[in-house]
Amino acid sequence: MRIGFWGAILLLAAPLAFMLAFFAAPFVAIAFNSLQDPDGGLSMSNYVRLVTDPYYLKAMGTTLSIAGWVTLITLLLGYPLAYFMVFRVRKRWLKRILYILVVTPLFTSNVVRAFSWIILLGRNGFVNDLLIWLHLTDKPLPLLFNKVSIIIGLAYIMLPFMILSVAAILQNLDHRLKDAARDLGAGPWSTFFHVTLPLSLPGIVSGALMVFTLCVSAYVTPSILSGGREVVMSMLVFQQYATVLNFSFGATLAVALLITAFLLLAVYHSARFAFAKARQMRGNHAA
Amino acid sequence: MLHKIIGRYGLGLFSWLVVLYLFFPLAVLIAASFTASDFLAFPPSSFSLRWYARLAANSQFIDAAWVSVKLAGLATAISLFLGVPTALVLSRNRFPGRAVLSALFISPLLLPAIVIGVAILQYAHLLGFARTFLALLVGHVVIMIPYVIRTTMASLGGLPMNIEEAAQDLGANRLETFFLITLPQIKPGVIAGGLFAFIMSWINVEVSIFNSTAALVPIPVKLFNYIQYNIDPLVAALSAITVYVAFGVVFAIDALIGIDKATNGQG
Repeated sequence: MRIGFWGAILLLAAPLAFMLAFFAAPFVAIAFNSLQDPDGGLSMSNYVRLVTDPYYLKAMGTTLSIAGWVTLITLLLGYPLAYFMVFRVRKRWLKRILYILVVTPLFTSNVVRAFSWIILLGRNGFVNDLLIWLHLTDKPLPLLFNKVSIIIGLAYIMLPFMILSVAAILQNLDHRLKDAARDLGAGPWSTFFHVTLPLSLPGIVSGALMVFTLCVSAYVTPSILSGGREVVMSMLVFQQYATVLNFSFGATLAVALLITAFLLLAVYHSARFAFAKARQMRGNHAA
Repeated sequence: MLHKIIGRYGLGLFSWLVVLYLFFPLAVLIAASFTASDFLAFPPSSFSLRWYARLAANSQFIDAAWVSVKLAGLATAISLFLGVPTALVLSRNRFPGRAVLSALFISPLLLPAIVIGVAILQYAHLLGFARTFLALLVGHVVIMIPYVIRTTMASLGGLPMNIEEAAQDLGANRLETFFLITLPQIKPGVIAGGLFAFIMSWINVEVSIFNSTAALVPIPVKLFNYIQYNIDPLVAALSAITVYVAFGVVFAIDALIGIDKATNGQG
């Protein structure tokens, strides 16, 4: 059933009004506030402070390096599992169980999932016990309340996103291309590196960008697992609003996070555009 | 020989280890919640339900859970009320500006949640409703709408339009057609979208934390504040309960529309 012009207006009026009032307007409010200096005048002084103060630059550096490590780890762990789920698991019930195991952590709060790593990573925690038992170390390693625990915890939390994006692409991959490569004499590794991997690149890119973006703005996990010793951008935002009570500068930090997210989204969309174009060209070529 | 074995079983072994990594931390919480001792340990030394009993007697956590249930329930109802009509228009009509509109409704999913929380706080501050239930509610609806729209659009996409046309040919008006023909068919998708939205509110910290007060605090924020100072089996018991809820909801969504469909393109 097509919806007429007035029908569509009627249906969209309330949702659109809601989004403009409680989503768009608040963003305008913080953007405006970020441009206010302490005297109430308009200036870029908050932004100048952000990019010149070494404290904030260091926090930005920490944030980006954590996001980079987490993206790499989730890719290395997630890709093989996604490949296994899509190509190797034949039984429908098993595939379903794997999906449930991958998705369930997403339905649990980050607080709960980060908390679990406090139990596991402590000096006498399970991970250190395991490492000692395996003779990989003879005394407990400092794994908790530092950058290592933040990276492990975030990688754990982000992994399902990577698995789902790669699996979504692999699922729709043309199986005949793989078979063709095998028929033409390519070994399994060669087929993987020359056919499957390049074709799954869109899934890798979208998964990586999503994980990276979520890591840059993650607040709960880093603050639970940092033990106050590492500072990331989102923790600074919270600090400004909750303890320093400098709303303008808090807004500036928030806008900086927002701009980072927008830049990553722009990269994502141009990558998608490039992939779509490449596919179109291949299509023309085949025709 | 070794090369062949690694090629044949290596991937499976590695994959199951990754699955273990995904599931193990949740299992640890559940195991630790049944301890009888006063401190957290994994593996636990003895079995008891005392920490669950302590939790049931803790009025602060009960109050927080009640705030969360009210918040998530009300926000789910509102986001269904706003999201389903939006999905209907976006999936059935082609018009100029449609892409911009759909980007507006989906973007809360892509933007940093903490920034959404801050923006709502500051905006509510300007209008005089900062740190109230209303501020929490609108923030939650904003982040829930994309989930409702996406699952509803996915169910509408798989729906043949000729049944609706038949109903209209037989004299049903548009409203009758929607409620008697369209809605029953997309109901599983709408319910799944609602469950998805509910759980996103139920576990949210980033949006809630800015608009919470000591008296008005949803359960994940309460837990977050609590573990800054206390790490005890009480937290494990509460965490374990949230894991049970998560499994319940995942099974429900799986039964309704299939978990792989609900999360496809989630990444």
